[in-house]
Amino acid sequence: MADRDYLGEFEHIIVLALLRLADQAYGVTVRQEIELRTKREVSIGAVYATLDRLEAKGYVKSHRGDPTPERGGRAKRFFRVTAKGIAAVSRTHRALESMTEGLGFIRSYS
Amino acid sequence: MTSQSHFVEPPPLAVRLVTLFAPDREAESILGDLLEEFSLLASKSGAPFARRWYWRQSLKTILQLAVLGFRTAPWLTTVAVVGGFFLRKVVGRLVSPTLFAVLERYQVYEHHFSMYIFLFSTGFDVGQAIAALFVGFMVALVAKGREMVATTMLSLTFGAMMVVVLPVLVTHEGYGIALSRAMWSFSDSLAMVIAGAVVRTRRLGVATRHQQA
Repeated sequence: MADRDYLGEFEHIIVLALLRLADQAYGVTVRQEIELRTKREVSIGAVYATLDRLEAKGYVKSHRGDPTPERGGRAKRFFRVTAKGIAAVSRTHRALESMTEGLGFIRSYS
Repeated sequence: MTSQSHFVEPPPLAVRLVTLFAPDREAESILGDLLEEFSLLASKSGAPFARRWYWRQSLKTILQLAVLGFRTAPWLTTVAVVGGFFLRKVVGRLVSPTLFAVLERYQVYEHHFSMYIFLFSTGFDVGQAIAALFVGFMVALVAKGREMVATTMLSLTFGAMMVVVLPVLVTHEGYGIALSRAMWSFSDSLAMVIAGAVVRTRRLGVATRHQQA
């Protein structure tokens, strides 16, 4: 059942941000990418809470970078999407496409 | 301007609050991310703007981290809060007999009448605050890693109960007494959160020393 799970709205956005940022995906860049593209203010806590949930589901993995001075000597935590995560985002995307098909969605509601 | 802004520090209280609420494995990266963006904003838009941004981010982040803390260990947190609720009731009932036993033992009424009056009135409320602090410590010790979430939930429960009871108190005992009891009740709630913060700070210190070693 878990393997047939769809991503929630914010989970979907986060995974897409990780895919866009590739090996540069950490808290700051993920938050900024989402704000830039969705024009909505996102807290770093919301990003980490969602990433934590996605990591627990096995959709993303994380590793620590080196500590840097501009971060007060604190390390970055980089995230990447796993194969299971890519399958989940594709499944969610297909479901959304299927649901919007034939609705003239862009023309009527934009 | 740029070189000065580079050394602007984020609001210490906000940093402290995020540190207290962040799970151990997230704290370093969250604080690092916040500091990185804060420094960038301070150099681009000025320190006051950056500080407002930091506070806004911190408060939203604390809320998210509290939810995350509860969600990742719901049973531990619930047991700590429910246990703390009943412990507060038990310990609260012991304050009055203990106080009277002390007054009796040292014959305060006969020898120090003004102190007797003080202990008889304010002493009871101070005793309740100390009892709340004790309960906060117990809850924080049980809810390891979720000290702040558990003690905050417990204090909000008692705070909410006081808010519900307040109109009844005003009707039956008058505005002055009701306000005084409400203030002491909120002090008790604050004492629980302070106890949570003390235990959390102590554990963070131990963890840091452990990592350094």
